Amino acid sequence: MIRKDGNMQSEDHSSDMHVSDQELLLAADGELAARRAARVRAHLAACWDCRARMAEMEGTIADFARAHRQSLDAQLPPIDGPRALLRAQLAELASKPVGNSWRWLFQFQSPVRAAAFVGVAFVALFAAAMVGRIFLQHSAWPGTDSALVASERGSEPDRTLTPGATRMVAIGDVCSMPHEEVIAEVSTSLRQEVFQEYGIGSAHVGDYEIDYLIAPGLGGVEDIHNLWPEPYESRTWNAHVKDDLEERLHQMVCAGRLDLSTAQREIATDWIAAYKKYFHTDRPLSLRSDLIRLREDRRAIGN
Amino acid sequence: MSPADSIVDANDLPLPSAADAAFSAKPSDIEREVMELFEQFRSPLLRYALSFGVPVHDGEEIIQEVFLALFRHLQSGKSRRNLRGWIFRVAHNLTLKQRYANQKSLDGMAFDSTIAERQPDPSPNPEEQLSSAQRRERLLAVVRVLPEADQGCLRLRAEGLRYREIAAALGISLGAVSMSLTRSLARLIRADGR
Repeated sequence: MIRKDGNMQSEDHSSDMHVSDQELLLAADGELAARRAARVRAHLAACWDCRARMAEMEGTIADFARAHRQSLDAQLPPIDGPRALLRAQLAELASKPVGNSWRWLFQFQSPVRAAAFVGVAFVALFAAAMVGRIFLQHSAWPGTDSALVASERGSEPDRTLTPGATRMVAIGDVCSMPHEEVIAEVSTSLRQEVFQEYGIGSAHVGDYEIDYLIAPGLGGVEDIHNLWPEPYESRTWNAHVKDDLEERLHQMVCAGRLDLSTAQREIATDWIAAYKKYFHTDRPLSLRSDLIRLREDRRAIGN
Repeated sequence: MSPADSIVDANDLPLPSAADAAFSAKPSDIEREVMELFEQFRSPLLRYALSFGVPVHDGEEIIQEVFLALFRHLQSGKSRRNLRGWIFRVAHNLTLKQRYANQKSLDGMAFDSTIAERQPDPSPNPEEQLSSAQRRERLLAVVRVLPEADQGCLRLRAEGLRYREIAAALGISLGAVSMSLTRSLARLIRADGR
């Protein structure tokens, strides 16, 4: 509110205070709180001055709106052509999925389609569950590597507790030193927090190593969301194998063959799957000679 | 990234299935809704775009982009809250982008710097009996020399947008909109000699 002498007032209990222009405009647009709007209405009912100002402002807006339209309406072409063009473009757009990502699966244009999708998804989920059950029941079948299966389960973090965490980092920073030279010590207090989070008692902490999900050399940070207790007993997919993957990803990122965010995402989502993908193998290359041979092969074919 | 930038390249899309083709034979509810909004807002949006000085054919293309972006927006199930503000915001951003591109193509022609000099004097002249056309020109001249943000608020208000819709369209707060309009109206009233 403003007083009749023009000075602003924070309180509006006195009847000799006018409503400011700004409040008059907000009131006209219905943007004042109900209580305040009621006060403004009551004031306007008794104040010619404010009513006149409000009418003046609204009249000016109306005049400008008229002038704005009159000055431009003559330039507007008929709507028929643009309408037909838009209709055709929409029809073309609607005939295609939204993109090449998984999102197009969820662009339902009718309840029938949505129901069909849900049905298919349910069947697929059920089938996957059955396959998984059979697989687990027969994981020790002769000819399969039961240790491999068991160690795969132990080598992956709980994603709800350890989704991965990164810092804002430039490629130049990541690549300024070899991957293995990036210091990655975890503080004692943080190690304890991670053990506590995973429900591992003090008697068993010696069975685990606190490992980074996204390595510092790939922009990972020392954060509880990026650390998990990795069991030493994992003999197949263990920390050494993961180190190889980190080094491989680091090299690819620094060579410009892989986007840093992609590397971070893939190692955080499923580092074992990332290893299989980037080493083109279903099992760890357990011997260093395998790695050396692979690198030489790659160099030879220019990859 | 502006909504117009997210147009999907047709070459990147997988071929539509037979089911997709069947579904697209008739306009979907979203297509119909977009066409209805086009009927309702095409003229206000085009006027708004033209008020920034873009040519009519550019303005028409901008409006097409706006409604294609709206289609994708609705198709992907995004928020329908303050849809009118959203539509004008897309138009606003595309218009500024187009105007910038046009200005660059003019390659340094002294255009903007002389606009104010070419405008009629907006100061009031109470003695003069203005015809309707003269008064209209005077109001428009006053607006043309306002700061651009104030012009935008006033033009969007002239197109019937509410304050919160203007705020959404220009990406500013409700308070900033009301202050801007208060300021602009005071200037218009002064210039109009009321």
